[in-house]
Amino acid sequence: MTTSSEDVLLAIKRVRQKKQDGILFLMAERIAWTPEGKDRFTVSHLYADIRCQKISPDGKAKIQLQLVLHTGETTNFHFTNESSALKDRDAVKDLLQQLLPKFKRKTNKELEEKNRMLQEDPLLFQLYKDLVVSQVISAEEFWANRLSLNSVDSSLPNHKQEVGISAAFLADVRPQTDGCNGLRYNLTSDIIESIFRTYPAVKQKYAENVPHNMTEKEFWTRFFQSHYFHRDRISMGVQDLFSECAKLDDKGLKTMVGQGVKNPLIDLTSLDDQTLDEGYGVSSAPSSSGCTKSVKETSNTAIIKRFNLHSAMVLAAGLRKHEPQNEQNSETSSTDGNSRDSDFFQPPLKKVKLQEAIEYQDLKQENGKKTIALTLKKSERYSHGPVPVQSQPYTTSQDIINSVNYIKHEMDNYTPHLNHVLSSSAASSAITALSPGGLLMQGGAHQAINQMVPNDIQSELKHLYVAAGELLRHFWSCFPVNSPFLEEKVVKMKSNLERFHSSKLRPFQEKVQRQYLSTNRICMIKFENFGQWGLNDANLTGQKQPKQLVSKVQYLKIKEGEGLRNVDLLRSPKHLNSALRKRNSTILEMSANAP
Amino acid sequence: MASDDELSLLLIVVDVNPLWWGRKAQEEPEFSLSKCIDAIMVLGNSHLVMNRNNRLAVIASHCQESHFLYPSKHWKGGDFASDENSAGSRDGKFELLTVANDLIVQEIKHLTARTQVRGQQTDTLLAGSLAKALCYIHRVTKQLEAGQEMKSRILVIKAAEDCASQYMNFMNVIFAAQKQGVLIDACVLDAESGLLQQACDITGGLYLKIPQTTSLGQYLLWVFLPDPDQRSQLVLPPPVHVDYRAACFCHRNLIEIGYVCSVCLSIFCNFSPICTTCETAFKIALPPVLKAKKKKPKLGT
Repeated sequence: MTTSSEDVLLAIKRVRQKKQDGILFLMAERIAWTPEGKDRFTVSHLYADIRCQKISPDGKAKIQLQLVLHTGETTNFHFTNESSALKDRDAVKDLLQQLLPKFKRKTNKELEEKNRMLQEDPLLFQLYKDLVVSQVISAEEFWANRLSLNSVDSSLPNHKQEVGISAAFLADVRPQTDGCNGLRYNLTSDIIESIFRTYPAVKQKYAENVPHNMTEKEFWTRFFQSHYFHRDRISMGVQDLFSECAKLDDKGLKTMVGQGVKNPLIDLTSLDDQTLDEGYGVSSAPSSSGCTKSVKETSNTAIIKRFNLHSAMVLAAGLRKHEPQNEQNSETSSTDGNSRDSDFFQPPLKKVKLQEAIEYQDLKQENGKKTIALTLKKSERYSHGPVPVQSQPYTTSQDIINSVNYIKHEMDNYTPHLNHVLSSSAASSAITALSPGGLLMQGGAHQAINQMVPNDIQSELKHLYVAAGELLRHFWSCFPVNSPFLEEKVVKMKSNLERFHSSKLRPFQEKVQRQYLSTNRICMIKFENFGQWGLNDANLTGQKQPKQLVSKVQYLKIKEGEGLRNVDLLRSPKHLNSALRKRNSTILEMSANAP
Repeated sequence: MASDDELSLLLIVVDVNPLWWGRKAQEEPEFSLSKCIDAIMVLGNSHLVMNRNNRLAVIASHCQESHFLYPSKHWKGGDFASDENSAGSRDGKFELLTVANDLIVQEIKHLTARTQVRGQQTDTLLAGSLAKALCYIHRVTKQLEAGQEMKSRILVIKAAEDCASQYMNFMNVIFAAQKQGVLIDACVLDAESGLLQQACDITGGLYLKIPQTTSLGQYLLWVFLPDPDQRSQLVLPPPVHVDYRAACFCHRNLIEIGYVCSVCLSIFCNFSPICTTCETAFKIALPPVLKAKKKKPKLGT
């Protein structure tokens, strides 16, 4: 039946499916139905597979719930309990409503994520093609390391910026006269969302009433008609859908005031009107309390109360995500205040601001560490360049005088003969030296390897190298072998590597050998060595050979040899298995075994 | 093909160390300072002729000073007709070339004429000349009109040996040139110069040691005349392997592995417990000394 780890969230009796009575179970990850008296689930669907649910309209006699799967299949459940059928169905519907969105996003997300990764990175795509499509390793292993890396990243961009609420959203709903003494209100979904976010009580009412009791249109009509919406919410006599909301709002306002001001150092007076003096401009007469207020005053206070409430709720709606944390903070601060002296009863924010205003870092005492000055004895050593001290040819002062005089004399008589700068023989010898292969052009030959090996061979070699690297990474990540899972993996990777070698490396090697290398005897021997994985031998014989062939082959060898050297380890399976069986091999030992 | 607005400035720094040239001329009379100057003038003329917008400057690097041979302060430009010495171009040459050549000759003669013999100043002031060259390039860049770009390079024709005392200044100049995007090419006549090799490697220029000094002109035209942009299309001598090893402070040997004092960063080839530059004491872990086993006195049987 159910696996032991599943919790049953809801179980409904007297549910018919396909003309059979039974019990419907809702578990943490799936929904299942079993016929009466039987043990097994005949119908079971994972929430992830369900695309949507449908319910029968209210008027109908049969109370049904339909599940539509991604594949297009539909399953119908008929609730037949006389007394509570409607309630049951609604309970199921509500639960499904909560659970389905969670599962829906996850699976799509994974596939989408994989596709996106493959599309973005062509190298990854190539690797995927090489390894998974040709069945060298399975897709799960391939994604095992990569998805975990990226799922962390992908959670970050999902935090879209929270959109705030415009404070004027209610005013934007400008009523238009309909002509015959009625008003039209235009409601967009943005406005509706704003109303719901600001006044959660209204949202609750909406959820309760629509679509059971009234249509959406009716709900909004009532909303705008109610005195709740209008300015003066004085007369509470009329029993209204929304009179409860008004009471809740009052309560909310009281709690907000009770929380107190978090930062009493905000300069509220800067927002006041500047007056010349008392009595000029702004009336500062204190309002007399206790006298009866006229009707106008009561309506004014009501409006002001409405405005205050509205602003407070708009702000609160934006901060609602952080509310639990804020509540905690305010609670701790208030409990502290009650239990301690009034000195300590300061909100922490105020303390911080006071501290900032008082302290200047410059004026604090210097508590720098004592440093020792650097004393250098022979600092001229630094200015001497990396020119080895050579014995200068000894020039006597006579030599100096002679040289200078000679130059003076020469330059005195100097007339430029620009026609006779070069003799043809000198020029041609210089050109010979500068031509490719000449005296000055040695050492340029090593650049030619890039041009000697054609591009497609190069790219194929690169792909093979990357694929081999990936396999080796899986292989080496299994060490040290601590668990049976790793042991299995090591053996599996060994077989993978061998398969890779036989299916990819060998044909490539043979192709290169056939097409691009001349049938030089030495070269053939070299490739046989290569094939037998005896790379050490090849290194020794390499010295006697002509430079270009050696460099070409060594280029290939270097690319493939790094990957293959590790695989030498696998050539002695006995070695490996005994090491695994002993299970006390450290990383050092394993790497010592590798050549 | 460079756009019409792009200027290319070639700055030639010639090493006219009279001691070296004098000694060399006495050994090989066929290659003298005058031949060298001729070859340089040919290169300069060729560069000016390659493009209407090209510019030239020549600095002579002497033991006592670095002097601009061209353009010269004494030249009052544009005043050909009234100049008595040069009655215009005598052989139908491009005016600018004539003027340049004449100036160079004139200036080098003045320079060598005022050479004074001093025993202790025998090294070429190469770092100073390069610094002047960079300043000139900087000034010309500032004087450009809006929208004009200039690419500049310095060609150093080096005769005498490296001077170790100019090392710091030299390296500063090289890094400044690298920052400015100025290439430093080097054409070395006699002794290999490690400093110039480094300069060429760092700034991306060409270093060439010439085997035959008599064909200097040919080497200059073949290797150093083309612009840096065009060099990638040409088959030119491959870059030299530069020796970047440091020299130890005690013997001035070039070493690959050595000991560095962590306080003053001075390099030594052998370990010494006290750094001679900053006098910091260092301890090094000695191998554990084995205590000699004490022989237990035998108990009397």
